[in-house]
Amino acid sequence: MLTKEKQLQVQALVKEATKEELAWINGYLMGLIGDSLTAVEENATPLATVAKKITIAYGTETGNSKKLATELASKAKKKMIIAKLVSLDQYRFADLQKETNFLTIISTQGEGEPPPAAKKFYDHIHQNGFKLDKLNFGVLALGDTSYPLFCKAGEDVDQQLEKLGGKRILPIQKCDVEYDEDADKWFDEVLDQLFSSKQTTVAPVIAIPVKYNAGTKPAGKTIYEGTVLSHINLNDRGSNKETWHLEIAAENLTYEAGDSIGILPKNDPETVNAILALVSLSASDHTAYKNEQISFLDLLTNKLNIANLSEKVIQRYATVVDATIAETKLDLLGLLQRYPTKGIEQFEAALQVLIAQSPRLYTVSSSPVSQESEVHITVARDIFYVEQEKKYGRCSDFLSKLQTNESISFFVQKNKRFKLPETDKDIIMIGPGTGIAAFRSFLLERDALGATGKNWLFFGEQHFESDFLYQTEIQNWHATGVLTKVQVAFSRDQQEKIYVQHKMLEHGAELFEWLDAGAYVYICGKKDPMSTDVENCLLEIIELHGNKTSEEAKTYFENIKAAHRYHKDVY
Amino acid sequence: MATQNKLSTIETIKTASRGLRGSIVESLDDEITGAIREDDQAVIKFHGMYQQDDRDRREERAEKKLDRLYTFMIRLRLPGGFVTPLQWIATQHIAGEHATGIIKITSRQTLQLHGLIKSRIKPTIQAFNAAKLDSIATCGDINRNVLCSSHPNESPIHKEVFAYADKISELLMPKTKAYYEIWLDGEKIVDRKEEEDPLYQDRYMPRKFKIAIAIPPNNDVDVFANDIGLIAVIENNQLIGFNISIGGGLATTHGNPDTYARLGTVIGFTKGEENTLKAVYEILTIQRDYGNRSDRKLSRLKYTVDKLGVETYKTELEKRIGFKLEPAKTYTFKTRVDHFGWQADANGLNNYTILVENGRVTDEAGLPLKTALLEIAKTGVANFRFTCTQNLILSDIATENKAVVQEILERFGIIKHTEGSSNIRKNAMACVALPTCPLALAEAQRYLPSLITKIEGIVEKYELTEEGMVIRMTGCPNGCARPYLAEIGFVGTAPGKYNLHLGGDRQGERLNKVYKENLDELAILDTIDLLFKDYSSERMKEETFGDYSIRKNWVSA
Ligand code: SRM
Ligand SMILES: Cc1cc2nc3c(=O)[nH]c(=O)nc-3n(C[C@H](O)[C@H](O)[C@H](O)COP(=O)(O)OP(=O)(O)OC[C@H]3O[C@@H](n4cnc5c(N)ncnc54)[C@H](O)[C@@H]3O)c2cc1C
Ligand SMILES: Cc1cc2nc3c(=O)[nH]c(=O)nc-3n(C[C@H](O)[C@H](O)[C@H](O)COP(=O)(O)O)c2cc1C
Ligand code: SF4
Repeated sequence: MLTKEKQLQVQALVKEATKEELAWINGYLMGLIGDSLTAVEENATPLATVAKKITIAYGTETGNSKKLATELASKAKKKMIIAKLVSLDQYRFADLQKETNFLTIISTQGEGEPPPAAKKFYDHIHQNGFKLDKLNFGVLALGDTSYPLFCKAGEDVDQQLEKLGGKRILPIQKCDVEYDEDADKWFDEVLDQLFSSKQTTVAPVIAIPVKYNAGTKPAGKTIYEGTVLSHINLNDRGSNKETWHLEIAAENLTYEAGDSIGILPKNDPETVNAILALVSLSASDHTAYKNEQISFLDLLTNKLNIANLSEKVIQRYATVVDATIAETKLDLLGLLQRYPTKGIEQFEAALQVLIAQSPRLYTVSSSPVSQESEVHITVARDIFYVEQEKKYGRCSDFLSKLQTNESISFFVQKNKRFKLPETDKDIIMIGPGTGIAAFRSFLLERDALGATGKNWLFFGEQHFESDFLYQTEIQNWHATGVLTKVQVAFSRDQQEKIYVQHKMLEHGAELFEWLDAGAYVYICGKKDPMSTDVENCLLEIIELHGNKTSEEAKTYFENIKAAHRYHKDVY
Repeated sequence: MATQNKLSTIETIKTASRGLRGSIVESLDDEITGAIREDDQAVIKFHGMYQQDDRDRREERAEKKLDRLYTFMIRLRLPGGFVTPLQWIATQHIAGEHATGIIKITSRQTLQLHGLIKSRIKPTIQAFNAAKLDSIATCGDINRNVLCSSHPNESPIHKEVFAYADKISELLMPKTKAYYEIWLDGEKIVDRKEEEDPLYQDRYMPRKFKIAIAIPPNNDVDVFANDIGLIAVIENNQLIGFNISIGGGLATTHGNPDTYARLGTVIGFTKGEENTLKAVYEILTIQRDYGNRSDRKLSRLKYTVDKLGVETYKTELEKRIGFKLEPAKTYTFKTRVDHFGWQADANGLNNYTILVENGRVTDEAGLPLKTALLEIAKTGVANFRFTCTQNLILSDIATENKAVVQEILERFGIIKHTEGSSNIRKNAMACVALPTCPLALAEAQRYLPSLITKIEGIVEKYELTEEGMVIRMTGCPNGCARPYLAEIGFVGTAPGKYNLHLGGDRQGERLNKVYKENLDELAILDTIDLLFKDYSSERMKEETFGDYSIRKNWVSA
């Protein structure tokens, strides 16, 4: 398939390569294939005159749905079917009435919400007042069984399209993280449902609820049993923050720089004991939960979210104990104290209305190339106040209290959309606070691979003295030239607040030069206000130093995105 | 000349520094470290600052992947140790806003602030400048803060003598404008000819250079510990001139026999201001030209004097000044004390000397000294003077204002503390040492007060409370609290360990000697107990502990 000389080049490349490098090249090539496909398909204009037509509309956050939709579309093309591929945030709602065969591939984000990119579409179909009686639809829902509301967004879309008069081609297909096979099978069936000679309309099917034992091994995902090797608070005395650096060892671990790991927090032992005491139960007492026998202790410690209760849950609790509850911010203990349950039965009923504990994600701050069989994370202990009472986020609190040699289970959450480019490309990394995690991982990796591309880091925190996360490592990278440039912003070391975006503006001219020369931009950390401010700041820089109108600046920025040179890992 | 040997690195840094500019500006701009570049650490001393780091915090911060906690110490230039009430107020505010809040009175009559982070240096210097204070040449290889007997009542013409501290300081200032350029945004010097420096040239002194002025009979400045000592000669209330002593210096280095403490040698007398200043100036030029620039351990004037010989040095000096020195006039030092409590001076003005243990001005439980001083400063009725034993004089107070000051001093317990303290505590002094001093081998100012308390027990036991033996402690052999001129000197050798020196006299004209080495606290207290027991029973009338130590041959004279 390859020309002689290309073959030689490839051989030359792999001959010298280490195991890790090969792994990297492999992943890299896969990435390339994915991207080029996307490019092709998006620009492919359907031929007007072919009977067989489908629309594949995807709603994605981290790119899986898009990748899948693209693959399916190309597959359809091979079968001489016109497949219109469109992202839901670019979809004209007016077209919905005209659609005949409409397939939605949509993931679930947050706690059972549609991906932001599909939010408009999702809301649109939820406002009734229009009919879609010509519509044949099918929903392919991407999700993750380690989340309690598995494929919720997909389910909603599926039911809603039916309410509007659409006809289901096939029951909704919910996919876990290994979605390819199921998706493929479903798609084939859809196609011959539609285009095989004898077309039968299918009876609407109620989606089968999946069995999910919260906390136990989610289907299709490797759960690693890790051991905490080291556990350090990176902030110095007198800081307002606690940022924990955790190093975790695990057998045959596989992940890539830019991925995250998911962790199910255990609930605070004191709270759990307080609850048991309150309802006078002993740790060993058992109960039935999701048709299995389990001790209250285990249930309350590992399976249920008893800390951060949504209003919905609180209201459901209210019905159980039939009381009227005005408070919106209460945890289970608080509820039980103020609105006690009468008898064990009622307590058990109350537990049924709680939602299962969901995993929290933490961007890895290590690189498999330099820390094989180890993963590091950088966790900010989340502090907030409820009626002046200081409270800690469940999972980050749990992690900040771990001790070395304790074991912890986690899974790897791939992030295909947050990967390093080729080693010779320049990158600009913007990561204030725990955003630094991803870039520690990037720099460790680029250092280990001897990458030739230039690296520019923007970091920010409150105080230079106490909050300069990974300061000595950053100094060493700078000294050894791994970091070409590094700018830091410490917001509270002077009268006026200074943030990363101020540093970016200060170095705007050079930053634009980098951009214009093809540098890749990465943003990691808190979604708001940081990532939005940074994005606006980038536009400002492009406008000012590229002397463009705000319109031209936007287009310029869009092109950077289209070229996959703009990546975000924000939360 | 020593210059044929290879020059020490500091020498090359100085000459390459473009008038003490170095790359300080670039160092300040480096955002990812609290430190400045290696070479600039030498250059910045000439601007009155030292880079330090909190040695207590190194280990813990390293584990947190944090760099050392670098901060800077800044030392003011206060010839004779004098500030106005407004300047004191400014200093307290600056200390609070940019530094640790603690003000340190040094053993050379000036003030130090610690813990400035890099980004605060500039605002600090600008704030000082607004108060007409600067830190030029208070550190580095150059003439340091000039000392002068601090108490106005040392002589009816104290004012006149005191004025010399300023004159000498001005005379020996470097000509470079770097200080103004870097810290005060003064405009860049294009033609460096403007700042050509006939005295320091581009190499400055081989080492630090120290000058003190004493008014007999009190040797409160330890005049013989200085490279140049000027002893005021006053005849029927006229200042006629100065006896000049050269080659004083105390520092030694453990295990380096070539280093030694040396008292200044009086080489003669100069009449009048012009001659005196000329002599002082040329003593510097000789040291500049003949001082050792290859081994910094042997580069102080004391070694140059001994290398050339006192007579040769004197002849060379007379050649350079163009007149002969007159033979030294007779003088006698009887004491070396601060006059605690109220003292009126010849002009009928009143002065109150406060005991400031080891010169640390701060608010402590039961002794809110800082608050008290601020309140006094705000009345505007008292000037602030600093003594060479790190104490503070509220000075030049008109009699009608005495009551105001008295009231505040009483209200804050300052009088109780000053006048209630034992004589040994009043005469004691310790250097900074840990945690800021990078050269410290042992504790000093953080430790001495508690040790004194224990020694007080022994003093009472042997009924020696009237005796004000001079006890001094340093954390290393550099001798910043002049322990070699104490009757009882403690010189740190390792954490918790000190060499015990004995035999200094009370007025600072005899160096002490090592009596026992590497003592821990227990050994120290046992030894002192034995010595005091002996002393209390067998001393002669009026015999000081220092003299007694010699007579008993505990150490040789
Ligand atoms: C603050 C002070 C001690 C105090 O508690 O008062 C002091 C503090 C230091 N001295 Fe000193 N010296 C101080 C008076 C002295 C004296 C006493 C005197 O001059 O009357 C001496 C002995 C006399 C002499 O010079 O021989 C003294 C001999 C030294 C030496 C040894 C010099 C030598 O000839 O080898 C060093 C080390 C050096 O210069 O290499 C030194 C170095 C230092 C440094 C700057 C350490 C360093 O080089 O990094 C210390 C800073 C500690 C800190 O954190 O503040 N300091 N130093 C005194 C400030 C004087 C001033 O205001 O300028
Ligand atoms: C892709 C991704 C990557 C991430 N990477 C990192 C990372 O590298 N480092 C990092 O530190 N974090 C990271 N996060 C965030 C992390 O996943 C968690 O969201 C964060 O640690 C907070 O979780 P928690 O369990 O500690 O707090 P939770 O218990 O989930 O609480 C979160 C918030 O909910 C509210 N809340 C909770 N309980 C109550 C209550 N009882 N009453 C009222 N309000 C309440 C509070 O506002 C609180 O701040 C990432 C998130 C994502 C999605
Ligand atoms: C922050 C976050 C929250 C998620 N919440 C859910 C959820 O509530 N339910 C679910 O089934 N999947 C959840 N997922 C899993 C995603 O749906 C799954 O990774 C999917 O493959 C993403 O597809 P996409 O890349 O097209 O967005 C979540 C993923 C992330 C990163
Ligand atoms: S004597 Fe030594 S320890 Fe004490 S301040 Fe001077 S240099 Fe530091």
